[in-house]
Amino acid sequence: MKKILIKGGTAIFPHQGVLQDVDILLENGLITRIEKGIEDTHAFLINASNLLVGPGFVNLHVHLREPGREAEENLLTGSRAAVRGGFTSIVSMPNTHPPIDNPLLVRYLLLRAREVGLVNIFPAGAITKELQGKEMAEYGLLKEAGAVALSDDGRGVQDAHLLYLAFQYAQYFHLPFILHEEDENLSRDGEMSEGETSILLGKKAIPRVAEESPMARDLVLAYRTGARVHFTHLSTSLEIELLRWFQNKIPISADVTPHHLLLTEDDVSKLGTEVKVKPPLRSLEDQKALKEGIREGVISILASDHAPHPLEDKNRSFSEAPFGISNLEITVPLYAKALIEEGIINWVELWKKLSYNPALFLGLNNKGLLEEGKDADITIIDPGTKKVVEVSRFESRGKNCPFENWPLLGWPLYTIVSGKMVMAEGSIVEGEIC
Amino acid sequence: MKWTHKDLLGINLLTGEEIEYLLERGNYFRKFLDGSPKKMEWGEGYCLVNFFLEPSTRTRVSFEVASRLSGMEVINFTTEISSFQKGESLEDTAKTLARMKFDVLVVRHRQSGIAEYLAQLLPLHVINAGDGMREHPTQALLDLLTLQRKFGYFQGLKVAIVGDILHSRVARSLTLGLKKLGAEIFLSGPPTLLPSAMESWGGKIVFPVEKAVEGVDVIYLLRIQKERQEAGYFPSIQEYAHFFGWKEKWLNEENDGPFIMHPGPVNRGVEIGYNPKEEKFSLIEEQVTCGVAIRMAVLETLLQGEKQ
Repeated sequence: MKKILIKGGTAIFPHQGVLQDVDILLENGLITRIEKGIEDTHAFLINASNLLVGPGFVNLHVHLREPGREAEENLLTGSRAAVRGGFTSIVSMPNTHPPIDNPLLVRYLLLRAREVGLVNIFPAGAITKELQGKEMAEYGLLKEAGAVALSDDGRGVQDAHLLYLAFQYAQYFHLPFILHEEDENLSRDGEMSEGETSILLGKKAIPRVAEESPMARDLVLAYRTGARVHFTHLSTSLEIELLRWFQNKIPISADVTPHHLLLTEDDVSKLGTEVKVKPPLRSLEDQKALKEGIREGVISILASDHAPHPLEDKNRSFSEAPFGISNLEITVPLYAKALIEEGIINWVELWKKLSYNPALFLGLNNKGLLEEGKDADITIIDPGTKKVVEVSRFESRGKNCPFENWPLLGWPLYTIVSGKMVMAEGSIVEGEIC
Repeated sequence: MKWTHKDLLGINLLTGEEIEYLLERGNYFRKFLDGSPKKMEWGEGYCLVNFFLEPSTRTRVSFEVASRLSGMEVINFTTEISSFQKGESLEDTAKTLARMKFDVLVVRHRQSGIAEYLAQLLPLHVINAGDGMREHPTQALLDLLTLQRKFGYFQGLKVAIVGDILHSRVARSLTLGLKKLGAEIFLSGPPTLLPSAMESWGGKIVFPVEKAVEGVDVIYLLRIQKERQEAGYFPSIQEYAHFFGWKEKWLNEENDGPFIMHPGPVNRGVEIGYNPKEEKFSLIEEQVTCGVAIRMAVLETLLQGEKQ
């Protein structure tokens, strides 16, 4: 395997929280040298002047739709979208057809991921068999096959007793939970957030308690059982309060999506089904609370909830259209807009929430760190050039994205996975450069 | 020694000295069982009723053999033809049996605490043959007898108990007994079936099971009930067998242990498979014989207490 030398860039060490102008040498899939003035004529050279170089981004929440929903996305298109978005590792959600609730399917996904060979794919296994919320899946066998976390994402686990047992049982296998919180008795057939806009538009509403109440329940369950839980796609201010209440009592973490930081329920009247998403877009107050949670750190991870859908489906009536937004390749620039341009956090903190923190949550000790000997998973960002979003050029099959024509900064320019350059100058590397 | 208990309700109520006495007598009867013909007379004129309200074969038969060999009369009370089906209460049925002047009532019931309840209610000797999730003292005593005959000591003996400890009266009684005799107990299994309160009983909870069985003298595998999966405590029998069933890699480096015990009946391919090495280290068959011996010891002791 050839070597890659990244010269002249500003390196980000998210764990230590520092920026430093150093060169980085990658060989045999590992970071081998980090220092000033490295020269190596045998290495492929990346000129990184004016660019930010750091450990590759790890995304805890991606829907790859394979197997069973390949028309919406598959491992190839999803992987291409991921590396274009600067992600070197992604967690695939198990709500496929059939769902990833047994070791066979985990092994299938890992085989397919190796075939595609672009990005590290870490499958999440189902919390319950067939995502039915009735019986625990085989966590031990899932873990042995390669699952890194458990999630019934797309649905909340309604049965508290089942989750109580699952929280205890999963600890034997050191599997953490990624929880989609939704009390179906409260969300019912709601379509958007409960509030002024839902009244104005006459739409069936999803109240905030639909997420807050099961989240509170699960925090208590985690407190009593010791399970490691992560709450995905938070959307309300009370959820941030709940995190604050528990953050020093138990190890918890949470993520948000870019769209909940950039859009509100008001956008439903303008953008319609494009912004029909679960959890629904909330108010400006909620959005401010999420940003405050990110600033102070209770939200320690930033993810995508990349949920590709065919436009034909999204173009149906509001009630019939599916929930979800496709955003994998613009996740980082969207966060740059919501958080850096607004002065909520800086690049080093953003990088940490995109790499070190999610890697730590997953127990990936060789990822999320810019250190000699760690995996050569590297993302390089151009923080200074503004570009507009062109949804039609997405690698993802999901063109269901409301951010068309948004001018954004902070685009990923290079993505290197295990020492292999998979994205260069903003485009997928077809074949081998190095 | 002076025996002061009318009944045998649980290991919890016995002192270490009392347990050792029963083991000593058990060992005597265990030797006796190897001889032939097998007949004793100290039980003559006494009558025992097996009052089993939960399915059981080996414990019931074991009590039956033990009492017959001692010269006792045995009646098996079966629920299929009983007045239970006519709606008689447990209390009334038990009182009726007591009025028939049985001397010993051996009871098994799914409710924890039933043996104690009957012992207070009835003048005869009550032996607990398993009450719900509470105690199964003769099982623990036969396990202790097996261990004593194999190792000759309890002080510092290391025993790992693996499986459904939450629902297991066997695990409870055995842990109590081992503790009273100075053994070290390690507990492992699915966390859903391993209540942390067991630590206060003297067992040390260790995860994963590979670590719990490391360096022990004996691995005691508990029987896993299919109903526990249906109740959601673990996801499948395959997964249980894969992670909590006996494995060859649990053998020590010297390849001379640990020994394997099981209260029976074994779910083949789940707690234990078909590996010849399992046979080599198994004490399971010896447990069965010790079961008869220890029940003779219990009967003798209770009846002798009466004579004192």
